[in-house]
Amino acid sequence: MSSFLTSRILYAIAVVFGVSLAVFFLIRLGGDPSALFLPPEASVEEIERFRHLMGFDRPLVVQYLDFISRALQGDFGMSLRYEQPAMQLVLERVPATLELSGMALALSLVVSIPLAILAAAWRGSALDRASLLVSLIGQSFPAFWLAIMLILLFSETLHVLPPSGRGGWQNLLMPAIVLATYSTAIITRLLRSSMIEVLQSDYIRTARGKGMSEGSIIFKHALRNAAIPTLTVIGLQVGALLGGAVITEEVFAYPGIGRLAIQAIANRDFTVVQAFVLVMAVTIVTVNLLVDLSYGLLDPRLRKSK
Amino acid sequence: MKHILRRSFLLATVATTLAGNLPLIAAAGEAGTLVVAQPADAYSMDPAKHSAFPTANILFQIYDGLVTMDGKGELVPALATSWSNPDPLTWRFKLREGVKFHNGEPFNSQAVKFTFDRALDPNFKAPYYSRIAAIKSVEVVDDYTVDLKTEKPFPTMLLSLYEASFPALIVPPTYTQEKNGDALGAAPVGTGPYKFVKWVKDEEVVLEANPDYWGDKPKIERVVFRPIKETRTRIAELKSGGADIAVDIPPEDVSSLEGGDTKVETVSSDFLYFLAFDTTRDTPLKDKRVRQAINYAVDVDAIQQALLNGTGNRIALTLPANGFAYNSEWTPYPYDPEKAKQLLTEAGYPDGFSIPLMTRKGRFLKDSEIVEATAGFLRKVGIKADIQYLEPGVWGQISEKKGREGITFPGWSGRDPNLVWFPLLKTGQYQSYFSNPELDRLLDEGGATIDAAQRKAIYEEAAVIMKDEAPHLPMIQPPLIYGLNSKLNWKPRTDSMIDLREASFN
Repeated sequence: MSSFLTSRILYAIAVVFGVSLAVFFLIRLGGDPSALFLPPEASVEEIERFRHLMGFDRPLVVQYLDFISRALQGDFGMSLRYEQPAMQLVLERVPATLELSGMALALSLVVSIPLAILAAAWRGSALDRASLLVSLIGQSFPAFWLAIMLILLFSETLHVLPPSGRGGWQNLLMPAIVLATYSTAIITRLLRSSMIEVLQSDYIRTARGKGMSEGSIIFKHALRNAAIPTLTVIGLQVGALLGGAVITEEVFAYPGIGRLAIQAIANRDFTVVQAFVLVMAVTIVTVNLLVDLSYGLLDPRLRKSK
Repeated sequence: MKHILRRSFLLATVATTLAGNLPLIAAAGEAGTLVVAQPADAYSMDPAKHSAFPTANILFQIYDGLVTMDGKGELVPALATSWSNPDPLTWRFKLREGVKFHNGEPFNSQAVKFTFDRALDPNFKAPYYSRIAAIKSVEVVDDYTVDLKTEKPFPTMLLSLYEASFPALIVPPTYTQEKNGDALGAAPVGTGPYKFVKWVKDEEVVLEANPDYWGDKPKIERVVFRPIKETRTRIAELKSGGADIAVDIPPEDVSSLEGGDTKVETVSSDFLYFLAFDTTRDTPLKDKRVRQAINYAVDVDAIQQALLNGTGNRIALTLPANGFAYNSEWTPYPYDPEKAKQLLTEAGYPDGFSIPLMTRKGRFLKDSEIVEATAGFLRKVGIKADIQYLEPGVWGQISEKKGREGITFPGWSGRDPNLVWFPLLKTGQYQSYFSNPELDRLLDEGGATIDAAQRKAIYEEAAVIMKDEAPHLPMIQPPLIYGLNSKLNWKPRTDSMIDLREASFN
């Protein structure tokens, strides 16, 4: 178990390091940001002076080594726009994003798990077909479009929900629905098919033959076995939710890390983009690690084999 | 029904405020609160530390400059009451007496000197340094008189001192020096009509009326600036009563906002849409007849009608019609594709030619649509424009190396030929891809003359050359379109700065 854990952690560190390398060089492919910070009439000398002050005139490799050595000491640089530490800007906005993606995850689990179980138990029923429709629609609606439709309906037409901002559950509702739609679809589809597969297996037939009640078959035997592949997907969905939050936050002007990231990319605020990507990478890697570890809890055989 | 909902929102607002949270919906238009929804949040509360108009819109309510722009676009007294030029290298300002900053610090010549010394310090990194760089020193004459000294005559000084020249807003010396200037960046203190209350990043900036304002007392008690990037969401906030001013409304949404609880205000901006021709490389654009042909070939009026719903202002030369020395009798080249073909044939290109057209996408209102329509008109006379969309950073790097080739759509703004023609057309200027010795002489002269009448005469002569030489295809001053609460009295300005000094609700 401990060697498994060690190798997983080392792997996670390598991933985060690789991501830092990729984002550092990729964002710089779009050109030097110096001119964007100055008024259009700024002279070449003025741009060069600014570039030197910002350190962008140094070779890329030198800039990267500087970035990495500072980052290891916890210094992720100053935001070029805000004149504040980049990591602080990102971390300040984490609670808002966690609130939104947490709400979205809760929403999608509350809808998808019962729906999938019932659909699998009554396979072929109207409910089952409805679940298929839900997952089909949920996967095909672009978040951006859905967000605008909700705003048109609930804010512009009915005047019942505020279209933007943060504050109470009213502000959270529409963005959480938009964000949860895709995850709900994926989780419903996967859990339903896993359940159906398990329900057709030999040991379920044996359990039925023993005269166990359908309820305990579904909840005690089938659900537990169907949970493992589903948990993997839920883990992946955490990444998708955080990623999806970028678009959703932008549309609903929700003050989370996603909106900060979009603005930082548009402004070529390099340090903020780097800090954002690192926070995302660490979060996703950690969630995946936790998912890996949780398999052992669900499946005693996996616990022993490691 | 709507009323009840409003009220329940208000209750919710009160409840969450009491709970120490933020208001969900600032009840726009009610209880003397004005909510402005604009695409971006402030970057800093220090006027010398940013380079963005949304930030400037907020700070202009908190701070004043020495001069300001009035509703007619004239530069008029603000913290300075009068000015004169004792010699061509000196601008002398008499300052308003009895003005206090929000924290009680007195406004005087020391504050003016401190403001400019700070922003002109090369180590300070003021992004808009170049706007004020012509000021070589600030000399205190007495408590309420200062001299701004320049190395060369600087006729456009007032444009460098009003609010759109961001670092020219006056800051309080003592407070600014606290915590190395960090105090000002977080909690600003100015002389303006509104005092800072709070800034919740990416959510809102809240200001309240300054009862001791030196000018007319602000009529609205509370002002909230909210950053909402997505256009549809800004419109939804306006329609649902969550905002009173929604900035940057697309032309196609104007009709849906006119009538009922909302209305639209439109003004032609100081911004300039034009095509610039690179005459420094060996291409057909070196030939004056080809440049004239392009001016004849593109139906700018049709583009303005189709893509901007007729809003904005057609310009005859690359200068806003409200800019200094613009003559309303100037006319653009008419749309005449036959004449264009004839000129191309004379120049030796009867079958046209291919040329790159460099631009950016999504930077200015309808920019790519306008560029594509232009390319369509050019194709009709045989000119194949190869449109290249550049990333903003790449555009910057190419520009720095003087690498803009063929036709470009650069965008520019400026209310004086010395701020537009000089940088764009004077030989050797970094953004200039044109050279004409006679024009150079006139531009130098205009830039070194203080007397307004003399300057007008000089630029009138320059205009003749510009029309004939056609270094640009002057197009349009694009519109600034704002969606408003129908109860709000407020007029937009051509420089896109939001001024709430006169704003009021019916």
